[in-house]
Amino acid sequence: MTLQHYLVISAILFTLGIFAVLTRRNAISILMGIELILNSCNLNFAAFSRFMTPSTDISGQIIAIFGIVLAAAEAAVFLAIILAIYREFGSIRPDEVDTLKG
Amino acid sequence: MVVSLISIILLCPLAAFAIFGLLGLANRRFPRQDYLSTIAMLVALVCSFLLLREVVPNPEPHTVNWISLGGVTFSMGFYLDSVTVIMLIVVTLVSSLVHIFSMGYMHGDPRYPRFFAYLSLFSFSMLFLVVSDNLLGIYIGWELVGLCSYLLIGFWFEKDSAANACKKAFLTTRVGDVGMFIGMMMLFTKFDTLSLYGEGGIFAQAAAQLSTADMVWLSIAGVLIFCGAIGKSAQMPLHTWLPDAMEGPTPVSALIHAATMVAAGVYLTARMFPILTETSSLVIAYVGGITALVAATIAIVRFDIKRVLAYSTISQLGYMMLAIGAGSYVAGLFHLTTHAFFKALLFLGSGSVIHAFHAMHHAHDDEHEHAHEHEHGEEHILGSEIPPDQDMRNMGGLRHKMPITFITMLIATLSISGVPFIFSGFWSKDKILAGVLGRAMEWSSVHHYILFIIALSAAGITAFYMFRLIFMTFFGEPRNQEMHDMAHESPKSMTVPLIVLAILSFPVVNTLWFNKDYVKPPPQPHLHAPQHAYLSPDSQTGGQGAALSLFGVSEAFAAEEEGGHGTHADDGHHGHGPAHTIAMVLSIIVAGLGIFFSWLFYHRRTLSAESVATTFRPIYNLFWHKYYFDEFYDGVLVALTVWKSRLFAQFDGSVVDGIVNGVGTVTRDILAAFVGIFDNRVVDGLVNRVAQVTWAVGGRVRRIQTGAIQTYLFVVLAGIVLLILIFRAL
Repeated sequence: MTLQHYLVISAILFTLGIFAVLTRRNAISILMGIELILNSCNLNFAAFSRFMTPSTDISGQIIAIFGIVLAAAEAAVFLAIILAIYREFGSIRPDEVDTLKG
Repeated sequence: MVVSLISIILLCPLAAFAIFGLLGLANRRFPRQDYLSTIAMLVALVCSFLLLREVVPNPEPHTVNWISLGGVTFSMGFYLDSVTVIMLIVVTLVSSLVHIFSMGYMHGDPRYPRFFAYLSLFSFSMLFLVVSDNLLGIYIGWELVGLCSYLLIGFWFEKDSAANACKKAFLTTRVGDVGMFIGMMMLFTKFDTLSLYGEGGIFAQAAAQLSTADMVWLSIAGVLIFCGAIGKSAQMPLHTWLPDAMEGPTPVSALIHAATMVAAGVYLTARMFPILTETSSLVIAYVGGITALVAATIAIVRFDIKRVLAYSTISQLGYMMLAIGAGSYVAGLFHLTTHAFFKALLFLGSGSVIHAFHAMHHAHDDEHEHAHEHEHGEEHILGSEIPPDQDMRNMGGLRHKMPITFITMLIATLSISGVPFIFSGFWSKDKILAGVLGRAMEWSSVHHYILFIIALSAAGITAFYMFRLIFMTFFGEPRNQEMHDMAHESPKSMTVPLIVLAILSFPVVNTLWFNKDYVKPPPQPHLHAPQHAYLSPDSQTGGQGAALSLFGVSEAFAAEEEGGHGTHADDGHHGHGPAHTIAMVLSIIVAGLGIFFSWLFYHRRTLSAESVATTFRPIYNLFWHKYYFDEFYDGVLVALTVWKSRLFAQFDGSVVDGIVNGVGTVTRDILAAFVGIFDNRVVDGLVNRVAQVTWAVGGRVRRIQTGAIQTYLFVVLAGIVLLILIFRAL
């Protein structure tokens, strides 16, 4: 297993995430895409830390753990917003939530 | 002492006016302005009498430096000699009496306090003129009295005739004042000072420096200064304003237009006495003599009681001028004094008569006012527009109704007519006649013989028209019964001044003038007798003081004539003794003739004035139209001015306006049009284009804002990819 394997996996995850964010019509699916992007980043952090620095330095892994925590918090806030949007508009499709459109 | 007394005399009336003016600024009134002004005048009167003791033979002027301009210092100061103090007494006395009279006459007038304030201002100005030691001060006072005259003639400015009269008076006197100013400037350029007295004064310098070569311009300067006197004293040909000035209240006519202001011209001429030459003296004498005669003839045919007195005043002022021009300095000023009293009395008496008719006048006020406005245009010039309460044809038989007015006016009339011995007017007029005849004999001068005859005939005519006035007003049957029934004697405030002035018409009170040691004519170094050496008047003084008894008086003035050669009429100098006797006899004869004919015409009616007027129609017309002076001025001077103004108006309308309009057109149609096009096309175009571009771009760009969050994200990603590609390419 070399660094390249990890990076390829990470790039696939990232691309899938972007694809989901851009194409999904459901806000929950978009959230899932965002989680994929975040995790691809975390994977990169951990991989670069494991292969590019001495094994005593684990700051990359630590940041990946912080990223997971952040993603959890973000998911909670995101879901709360979606719930509020649903109550307001009766839908969770982002293209229907366009009150501010000029 | 002298300075403080004079200061009090000047400040009293000035303060009375200032209080009115200052309170007026705050829109307040002193409750009794009339008392204030009168008391101020009485204080000045007392001070004037106190000044009598302060007179010294050769006084020095009391001066202070006033302003310095480029090396020339103008001073202001007082000069007190016997003439000054007598003038002060005359002015303050007449002014006080007029103040008192006005309390009755002006009672109930809506501008009653203002009237007294004006009187105070006038008194101040006149007194300032009298005490000034220099031409500048005299000129300031001169213009101030002119202003007061203007204000008081136009006091009832609601009347068109009064408003016109005050303008006329102001403008006409201004004509003379221009001459006077030029004369002053001539003296100033020569002597570098306007002070008359003292060591550096004009008189001292003139006596010391001028030679016979300077006589021409000195004559011109003298005549020019006399021009001021012509205007102010209403001499020919500037006399036309004085009759019109009768539009003012009658006390004003008495004070300003009979006793004091018009006499200022005589006073000025007398002050200029030391620099008069033969030529200027002769001009003055002729102007005075002709004025005396012409004005007297006009007075014969007037029916307005005040107009008769106005022409009489002009005539008498001419007499005074004649006296001074003929070298009879003392006689001229003496006549000024006596005339001031009896003419003020005549005016106040006429005021009393008018006042008696006044209630009547008010009853018919509206009709008359209306009628007057209609006729005003041409009637005013002809002088036949007479207020009914001043028309002698409405009077008659008033002597029983108004005994005090009648008796006092009769005394004044006897005085002005020259009824011998007990009336002051006789002495002063006789002194003038004797002076003129004396000079004629002494110089064998044809001019002075002519002047003597003119003066003598004027004296006869004066007696005639004055008695005509008395007969028409106080004798005979009432001509207008309705008005006669309304007439009444005036209140005490009006009769008391009349009585006082009547007493002053007797010579006892004028004794100062008879005392030849008291008033002495100044020397005339520039006046030379045509044939033989002329003894200057101050070369001999009169010896012992003359007796002041009635008959001593006649001797005294006969001796004193022509500068006091010797003490008695028969002391050998040719001319004086005979001149005096001849003049006295002739003047008594002409006065008697005048009174006699007046009696025949207007009392016994053996002769009819109407038939005489018809027989001598051209002469009557000449008199009636006042020698066509007003017509001449209206037809020539006024018309010329109007024509010239029209010309200028046309020039203004066509040329000046044309230029302005042309410039306007060029600016508007060409320059402004060009700028307008530039503005519209270029500037506005630029602004509009910017706005359009902004608008269009905004219209396009706003479509990007779809509100679809995934589109934004896509664009962001596309951008990032693009950036990455770019950076890789680099």
